[in-house]
Formats: sequence, structure tokens, C-alpha cells
Amino acid sequence: MKPLLRSREALVTLLLVLLVVVTGLFNPNFFKPDSIVEIFNASLTLVLISLGEMFVILTRGIDVSVGATAGLAAVVLGTTLNLGWPVGAAALAAVAAGTLAGALNAFGVTFLRVPPIIMTLGTLGIYRGLMRIITGGSWIENLPQSIKEPNLWSFLGVPFFVWLTLALLALTAFVTLRVRLARYFYAVGDNEAGAYLLGLPVRWTQFAAYTLAGTFAALAAIVFTSQIGFVSMNAADGFELKAIAANVLGGVSLTGGVGTPVGAAIGALFLTAVHSMLIFLGVPGIWDNAFAGIILLIVVYVDYRVRSALELQRRQARIRGDAGGGA
Amino acid sequence: MKWTRYLRSWEFALFVLLLLELAVLGLVNPVFFNLENLLYSTLDFTHILFAALPLTLVIITAGIDISGVSVMGLASITLGLVWVAGVNVFVALAVALLVGVLAGAFNGFFVSRTDVNPLVITLGTLFMFAGLAQGMPALLDKLGFKAYGSAGLAAYQYEGITGLPDAFIALTEGSLGIVPYPFLAVLFFALVLSLLLHKTRFGRYLYLIGVNPKAAAYSGVPIRRVLVWAYVLSGFGAALAGVMLTSYFTSARADLGGDALLPIITAVVLGGADILGGSGTILGTLLAGMILGFLRQGLLALGVTNDLIQVVVGSLLILAMAAKQLLHVYGEYRLKRKALSSKDGR
Repeated sequence: MKPLLRSREALVTLLLVLLVVVTGLFNPNFFKPDSIVEIFNASLTLVLISLGEMFVILTRGIDVSVGATAGLAAVVLGTTLNLGWPVGAAALAAVAAGTLAGALNAFGVTFLRVPPIIMTLGTLGIYRGLMRIITGGSWIENLPQSIKEPNLWSFLGVPFFVWLTLALLALTAFVTLRVRLARYFYAVGDNEAGAYLLGLPVRWTQFAAYTLAGTFAALAAIVFTSQIGFVSMNAADGFELKAIAANVLGGVSLTGGVGTPVGAAIGALFLTAVHSMLIFLGVPGIWDNAFAGIILLIVVYVDYRVRSALELQRRQARIRGDAGGGA
Repeated sequence: MKWTRYLRSWEFALFVLLLLELAVLGLVNPVFFNLENLLYSTLDFTHILFAALPLTLVIITAGIDISGVSVMGLASITLGLVWVAGVNVFVALAVALLVGVLAGAFNGFFVSRTDVNPLVITLGTLFMFAGLAQGMPALLDKLGFKAYGSAGLAAYQYEGITGLPDAFIALTEGSLGIVPYPFLAVLFFALVLSLLLHKTRFGRYLYLIGVNPKAAAYSGVPIRRVLVWAYVLSGFGAALAGVMLTSYFTSARADLGGDALLPIITAVVLGGADILGGSGTILGTLLAGMILGFLRQGLLALGVTNDLIQVVVGSLLILAMAAKQLLHVYGEYRLKRKALSSKDGR
């Protein structure tokens, strides 16, 4: 039981299963494969944004501009599509825009030494402003069918985008676990000075983290634009905060160096599932935020209690063991 | 000797910047040389100042409180609901401020009793308070209480709870001479906070906690109590901002202040507070908030769109921080050079 409690991923998964079961008991429709797939489908945007945010948080940074970056990438996607670009080229342009936006954050944080929250708060305003300047403030509608098509593809009854996100998740999970370069994110976040003394490229690692956050935000933009078929000016508004919440829920520590892609994804899935569950329970959607906030607070509080209990146990064990030795 | 130190302070630089800005805006658009106009235009950003001033105290302790933007809506909707229930509007105002204090106390308790990052806690309460503000009217209405005011649900969704008494609206419409009441209130609030921060033990404790919490704990600073009070003040300030906006827009809404987070934090940081704690002044935040507020007004008057202003403010924040950081790095470099050369000369 103890190792299970120690892992935040397990704690949140448990909570998620519990909520699903309770909701299912009240409303059996919830157990239908369709509604489960629907939840997965609805969570993709947040999962992708949260995965990008995870890299930043792993390096002990924070990026509050990812929602705006996604919005900007969506505008680039929509604008280029309506200019007649083929889907592939437009998607590439969107990814490039997102990556560039991320790289600007990275430049400010690593080379200008602006504190991450200040830098990304500034670019949050800049990217949101740019979005509206590019489009003149109106929504981008009448997108060609070619961008909406991928959303309809499915394999084994599961939408293409869900497969794509799962594949990306598996890839990120593998890379962060097994590839030496990706371990740098953990090293830098855990102990920046130590990583520097070991000769790791600390700044470039941080640079990569913010850039990746931009890239993932752009991928999310492609997915939600395909899903809803237009780009509103509020696209992905507030997702920066949800992405941070998802990471914290999933056990990615804001103090850096701790967390996994699977955890971040589960956190994002959880936040989306809460929304669907409330609907199935007949609670109006306006309570979404309240529940998300309360659950986040409960999870971090339980986590704190578990950690301090374990710490106390460890100390007592040490005192017993060293009873004669002092200290 | 002493006054030259004042001349080199960040606050003095901000003061010069503010005068410079007003001069430039005035040259471009003479309306800005009219003091009455200038003071009247502060109404559009006093809510930023109300929230940013006490947030400075929180940031000095190396904390942060992003839930203020939700407290604004929560306070506003509370005021509206209590008033709809038939209570005198000024009693409703007091209840709204009390809600702000309680919200702040909740943040403060959570921050001071756990080691969870304040950003995470106030992110949680940001969602929670916003959700409460949105959900409460619907819940009360379901319970049979006419929460939407006389105009019903459709009107509520469109413009919030309206029809507030004139005496309450007069709080933001009225002025003492040519100084609008809200601006007067902000100046008074700043004065009180300034005295609290710079002239009391509580204020020194805030800095000490921000610089070195361990040293503070070992020297007997009541860290928990001090932190709770800092967050309470922040919640109170946000509630004041919410009440002020309610009076200014003549309606109580759950979503008031939703887009104020960027300007609020920009004001505090531009005002000289270090996001890592240990430094910052009330005067700095006040001046920076006014610089940003007048800049916005000036650009709007010049026909610059809101979107472009957002870009300008964001860039300004980044450039100011980058300049400060680079100066800091250069200063350290010079110190090191000095230390090295003095060693060589030995």
C-alpha cells in the first residue's frame, strides 16, 4: 500500500477510477464505450498541452503562455488554410509558429535571465494580442473540409487523434525514461548547480524545455481546430492554468526534477473527466471550476500529509537506529 | 549623502518615468495635461492597484497569490446576492469584503501550514473561487431564492445583477474636489500598507521571511501568523477591487476582473518586487501601476487597439525585467573584477 500511496500517479488514477465507478452507479450510461472514448477525445488538447508544460516544470520552470501559444498556432493554422495552403503545409506552419513562440520564451528565460513566470506572463499577453491582430479580432470560420477530416478517421472504434496522442505519449514516456539527453531535464530541475558542475548544458536543456512546450501547444492547436472546425479568439483560453493543474495532479513537482509524462497525461485526463462526470451526474457545467479547484487542493493536501508522515517515520527510524551515536 | 540615495532608488526612476510618460502623452494629446481628465481616467485601473498593492506584501514573502482575480468576481457576486436578499447595500458591501478576507485567510492557512507551492494553492483556489462565484447564483435560484435580481436569468447572464442603489453607485461616481473617491481610497490604502510594511515589526518580518525563511523561523518570527495576514490583506484588496468594479460597472458579476491577472502582476514586478521574495515597496507598486494604467489610457486615446496594448504591456514587462537582470549581472561582474584586482594588488 505504501509505495502505491507514494506515487501520485497511482493516487490520482485511483481517485479517477473511484469517480468513474461512482458516476457509473448513478448513471449507467457512463460505462458505455462511447462515453469513455468521448472523454478521451475531449481530453486530447489538455493532454498535449500538459505534456509540453511538463518539460518546463521538470526543469523547475513554469510556462503560463502555453494556452496563448496554442491559440496563436491555431490562428496560423486557420489563416494559412484559408489562404489555400494544403493541410500538411498549414500544420507545419502552425507547429513552426508554436515552436518559435516557445523558443522566444526560452530565449528570455535562459539568456535574458528573466524569471520564467514573468517572461511567460509577458508573452501570454503578447501572443493573445497577436492572435487578434492577425485575424482582426474575428473568428476564423469556413475552414476547408480537409482539416476536419482527420477527426473523423478512426481505428477499432477509437478516433485517429486518440491513437496519435497515445503514440506521442508512449514516445515521450520512453524517451524521458531511457534517453540520456532527456534525463537532463530531470537533472537540471533537481539540482541546477549540480548539473552545471557535472558539465551538463543547463541553459540549452532549459531552452529545449520551453521550446518543446511551444511545439506541443501547437500540436494541441491542430487537434482542437480539427475537432471543432473553427478558431475562436478565446481558443485555449485558460489552458495554461489547467495544464499546470494537470501536471501537479499527476505528480509533476513544481520544485523540479520529479514527474512522468504518464502522470501529466493522467492529470489532464482527470480534469477533463471531472467535467464529463458532472454532466452525467446532472450538475450544471458552471460548477466545473469549483470542482477542479477543490480536487486539486485535496490532492496536494493528501500528498503533503503522506509525505510528512513518511518523513516523520524515516526520522524516527533514524533516531532509533542512531540512539547511541547522537545526532 | 542621504538624498542622493533616494535619487538612485528604483522608485525615483519610476517617478521620473511616470512624469516623462505623462509629458509625452500630453504633447501628443493635450487632453492629458488636464488634471481633472487625468484623475478621472484613473477609474479604469484603480481595481488593478487595489489588488496589486497588498499582493506586493505576499510577493515579498516569496509567495504569490493568483486567486485575486477570482476573489474580485466572488466579492462582486456576494455583494449582489446579499443585496438581492433585501439587505442594505452597504452591509452587503461589508459582507463582500469579509468574503475577501476569508478567501485570503483560506489561502494563508493552506500556504503556511503546508509546504505546497503557493502558486499551486492559489491556482486551486483561483478555480474554486471562480467556480463558487459562477455556481452560487444558480444554486440559490434552484433553492427557490430569486438570485438573479428582478430582471431574471436572461438579463443576469447578459449583464449580471443590476439595479443597485444610487448611493452605492455614487461611491465611484463621486469625487472630492477633482479627485475621484476610488483613487483617494487607493492612496489611503497605499499609505496604510506602506506604514505597515516599512514602519512595523510585521513589515520587517515579511522581508525576513522572503529573504530567508529558516533564519526567520530560528529567530522566533511567527511565520505562520505573518503569512496568513499577508494573504488576508491580498484577499481583502482583491475584494475591494471587486466592490469598486461592481459600483463602477453598476452591476454585480461573477466574471469581473478575469483579465486583470497580467496587469496586476506586471504592476508589482515593474514596481521593483522580486518574484523570488525579499524585496519590493508599496510606493514602487503604486507608481508602476499608475505608469501602466496611464500608458493604457494614453494608447487607447491615440486609437491604439486593446490587442496591441496587450502586446505593448507584455513586451514592457519582459524588457524591464531583462534590463534589471542584465544590470544585476553586470554589477556582479564588476564586483568580481574588483575583488580579483584587489587580490592582485596585494
